[in-house]
Amino acid sequence: MPRPTRTRFDTLSLHAGQRPDPVHGARAVPIYQTTSYVFRDSDHAASLFNMERPGHAYSRLSNPTTAVLEERVAALEDGVGSIATASGQAALHLAIATIMGAGSHIVSSSAIYGGSHNLLQYTLPRFGIDTTFVSPRDVDGIRQAIRPNTRLIFGETIGNPGNDIMDIPAVAEIAREHRIPLLIDSTFTTPYLMKPFEYGASLIMHSATKFLCGHGTVIGGLVVDHGRFDWEGSGKFDTLSEPYAGFHNMTFDEEMSQGAFLLRARREGMRDFGACMAPTVAFYILQGIETLSLRMQRHVENTRKIIEFLQSSEQVEGISYPELPEHPDYELAKTLLPRGAGSIFSFSLKGGREAGRALTEGLDVFSHLANVGDAKSLIIHPASTTHHRMSADDLLKAGITEGTIRMSVGLEDPDDLIDDLSKGLHLAKKATG
Amino acid sequence: MYITLDGTRYYAYTGTHAPDPDLETVVFVHGASMDHTVWSHQSRYFSYHGFNVLALDLPGHRLSQGALLSRVEDMAEWLIGILAATSARDVHLVGHSMGSLVALEAAANLDQGVSTLKTLSLIGFCYPMSVAPVLMDAARDNPSKAYSMMTQWSHASKTGGEPVPGFWSAGMQMSMMENSPEGSIYCNLQACHNYAGGKEAFERITCPILFVSGKLDKMSPARIAMKEAQRNENASIELLPGCGHNIMFESPDGVLNSLKGLIDA
Repeated sequence: MPRPTRTRFDTLSLHAGQRPDPVHGARAVPIYQTTSYVFRDSDHAASLFNMERPGHAYSRLSNPTTAVLEERVAALEDGVGSIATASGQAALHLAIATIMGAGSHIVSSSAIYGGSHNLLQYTLPRFGIDTTFVSPRDVDGIRQAIRPNTRLIFGETIGNPGNDIMDIPAVAEIAREHRIPLLIDSTFTTPYLMKPFEYGASLIMHSATKFLCGHGTVIGGLVVDHGRFDWEGSGKFDTLSEPYAGFHNMTFDEEMSQGAFLLRARREGMRDFGACMAPTVAFYILQGIETLSLRMQRHVENTRKIIEFLQSSEQVEGISYPELPEHPDYELAKTLLPRGAGSIFSFSLKGGREAGRALTEGLDVFSHLANVGDAKSLIIHPASTTHHRMSADDLLKAGITEGTIRMSVGLEDPDDLIDDLSKGLHLAKKATG
Repeated sequence: MYITLDGTRYYAYTGTHAPDPDLETVVFVHGASMDHTVWSHQSRYFSYHGFNVLALDLPGHRLSQGALLSRVEDMAEWLIGILAATSARDVHLVGHSMGSLVALEAAANLDQGVSTLKTLSLIGFCYPMSVAPVLMDAARDNPSKAYSMMTQWSHASKTGGEPVPGFWSAGMQMSMMENSPEGSIYCNLQACHNYAGGKEAFERITCPILFVSGKLDKMSPARIAMKEAQRNENASIELLPGCGHNIMFESPDGVLNSLKGLIDA
């Protein structure tokens, strides 16, 4: 018998989760645009709903197109499975709601996406879940923030807005010591640049809207389980280790040891909260994933060229990118992100708000908008847009200046991007005299 | 539920039902470094369709206490003890891979005065169950490598597309094996490799026997089960297309339908 080999990343990106359509032979993943599925008979229906047989009953719970995406992302992340959701925010909420309830506590990185921060800081406390925010660089602070009722540590592979790199192996060790899971938002890196499970994370979430889809066309999210966390042994996760009256007294951890989290997330979270992904959305994200490694390589290559150009400009005061030696996480990035530190970075432009506004409004190839992870290059000046009501002092407290510019470098010819930026910088200089 | 035997607690999944003494009992035995959840669909189905179910964690595995057992004969003796402890009268034994050897050996030695064996189902079976030296060495020296080899060999498709929505079967198997108790894979593979009682066991069994094999099973090739089925008057075989060794996950319905055909008959 020949030695077995694991299927590699690029092949999984194209094939995982799908076998060619057995009825018509369709090679592409068909879009099963249907809400529901015809039962063979009543016993079949009852068996589907009671989890005695696998299959689809209603597309809020599962759908054949979405299932291909779920299996593919699980394969790329080396997980046991995943659940696709209506957005990245829905994925984060689903992960949290599946493992905890009122009276629970989360320790979160303070350098996270604003939407996630809002959920943790303002919304979840209304439902009895509190969060302590700690700098992702403060590993001891994370340890000290853990309380008896802490049920999750949360962070991002690359934080916002300073491109802070969380020391995932160190934080995962803290989580392991306290028998709680570490959930990592891997949106900025995708499994091509980093696989957080390799460093000890228990759960991963993605805003698939960004690089996984990669083309700025649809909103979606995913939560992936590594299947290694011992929910029963921890003694802290009754939702998974005690009978659940909402599903015939099923004890999820006994039912499917490696899949307990996903089982409850689907059987309760998708059933009751209902933030499911539409099959057409899943199709677009699958299309994006087919070229994920090619795109991520080009994203990183282009980013390095743009940064090299900006370093030569006297109008640029500081560039925050973990591949630069002056970045505080330079060494950590070399270890955790050997393929590159992504394509999102920020820099500070001399001339403050006026210069920032002139730059962003003067570009042609870069799109001025609030998103990241598109094939097209994107730019935003927070002080004149998303954060325009904030004073200079308040901006500093949020980790940005009046001249901070955030970029998400796309896949265009890098020389065209540099030409565009040259023009924009010229306009910024003119605007500030 | 937990069953105490000689002061040690062992786990059996029952589908959330307490056993009913008037019902027949379907007993599921998992393979090397696995646990009861490999039977999640099949065990749940039977537990909601008129049977008691005991989907066991072998000693030292998952939720069962006790030391790992290094011989198929010892595991079979333990299984017979479990059946006696639960007063399971009319029994259908189902085993996968190493568990099929345990079920076979237990079936041959069951005290029919305590439990009556109604049927025996051997899934992913072969005998002798020789283990390749490269795998045995890995199991002893580098279990993660052995898990990876077994996971790759166990799946007919290297890119998935399995019927359970949202799950990546190779990841599930890797995770289950990585979570198995230290030393279990080498101990279990040794038990498979050294078991020599199969021929005599078949000669002593009179109940109907069903073999279920994946047509593309590289770990336990279907041709071996086919030969064994031809040798036994009471035996039949079901070959599931597009399946390898991880057959309960690759074709949960196929395995269930095969079992139903025998057990419901």
